[in-house]
Amino acid sequence: MDCRDVKTIALDRLAGEADEASRRELSAHLAGCENCRREMGRLEDLWTVLGTDPDATVTPEFRERSLELIEEEFLRRRVREFRPRTRSVRPFLQAAAMLAAGAVGYLIARGLPSGSSSTSSPTPVAGSAPRAIATPSAGVARASNTGSAVLDLASSPRFSNVSYRPADPDGRVGIEFDVTTRQTVVGRPEEPEVARLLAYLLSRNAETAGEKSRAIALVSEHYGTGSATASPEIVAALSATLRKDPNPGVRKKAADALASFAITPEIRTVFLAALVSDKNPAVRLVAVDALAAAAKQSPDAATIASLREKAVDPQENGFVRAKAASALKAISF
Amino acid sequence: MESKGSDDLDLLERIRRGDTGGAGELFERYAPALLRFTDRMLSDRASAEEVTQEVFVKVISRAHQYDGRAGVASWLFAIAANACRDRRRRDRWAMVVPLEAVAEPRARGEGIESTIASRQRRQAVRQALSELSDEQREALVLARYHGMPYAEIAETLGISVGAVKTRIFRAVETLKAHFSEGESWTAAT
Repeated sequence: MDCRDVKTIALDRLAGEADEASRRELSAHLAGCENCRREMGRLEDLWTVLGTDPDATVTPEFRERSLELIEEEFLRRRVREFRPRTRSVRPFLQAAAMLAAGAVGYLIARGLPSGSSSTSSPTPVAGSAPRAIATPSAGVARASNTGSAVLDLASSPRFSNVSYRPADPDGRVGIEFDVTTRQTVVGRPEEPEVARLLAYLLSRNAETAGEKSRAIALVSEHYGTGSATASPEIVAALSATLRKDPNPGVRKKAADALASFAITPEIRTVFLAALVSDKNPAVRLVAVDALAAAAKQSPDAATIASLREKAVDPQENGFVRAKAASALKAISF
Repeated sequence: MESKGSDDLDLLERIRRGDTGGAGELFERYAPALLRFTDRMLSDRASAEEVTQEVFVKVISRAHQYDGRAGVASWLFAIAANACRDRRRRDRWAMVVPLEAVAEPRARGEGIESTIASRQRRQAVRQALSELSDEQREALVLARYHGMPYAEIAETLGISVGAVKTRIFRAVETLKAHFSEGESWTAAT
């Protein structure tokens, strides 16, 4: 080994990359070379000094902030993906209908006796009436009020004067709002487009407790059966509201809405967290009820442990404590 | 670096499907290492936290782009390295070295270990690291603090193993010169 190779192999050794043969060769060289021994010593010192720099650690605050950010990013992406299915199909269908109408008209005109076409009135053709075609405008495209909304939520448009129409006999709710003009979207909350719009209105657009409450109320009324499976967008928006909204009344409404869904692991997790940390006892009561109902169907260790803890917690509100105790009695382990 | 191959792939698949829990688990698994990396690359805790969070936001949006050619850990560190470079470029003209990070000269001829008091070592080391180029620092930090093999560093940084060795060699030469010239070394005595 040459003295010029020593630094490279010494670094390999420090980095754990030198193989056995190189290490032996290096040791043999160092044993007979004072200069290289000194150089090796300096490298080792440097490597050691670098190692004295303490590692940054993940603090609980950083962790919590980051997990919230991750959750918001998922929600934002779900909202951003809002693309009604009919968007590209509808103009093609309309064009096809017009072409078909034109063709039928042409054929009819050709089939008539000469001269009669100028005196006969045009034959109406079903489905050929022109319809309003959506035209994009800044951030939001126009929506017809037939339920075929073409909304681009990626640019976070601001909707004002939002109002909701309760479900019709077909379960379709109405959502009206002002953008540049008054718009109406009609559909069932479990349809992805409507679910995303509702989630957007709840998590991004609503600024006041009243606005949030109205959006939540619409969802609650629709899913009032207690066994429906809500869309992931709506569950995520309600979960985030329950976890983070500063208004206790809004959190309570979000909890009520979540309790009206068929419970999923995600909803169970949110309720377990609310039971531990929500400051509003009314929210904790809803959490106890929802968790107990779910545990009756399929008991799980985390739920039972949390209910037990609440049932004997002297700091807990008396109603919550009693509710947790009676819920436990009703669960068969 | 510990490999958790198939588990990591499962987590990425869950993230692709929109599962928040998958991203949460990936965060728990890699945030400590990524934060250590970004902290040393940027020498600023607040920026390091922001960039680490940025990495996970990017993972959510790019999970479908992961092609499996590099390990998931390498892919995450590659995103982090790029994000750190962007951040440093952006902050280049606004960068301020805290006064306490500027070390004082040392007496020549003293051994490294014995001349650096523990309280000031961190500042001295950070000051020295900040004098390396981004490329040299990335390679050295991954080798020294993350125990990453040269091949994995090469995969992460998109360079050859030879280039990794060269960068580490030059980084070490720069650090040796920095310390032995005594310009900032015994701040730590």
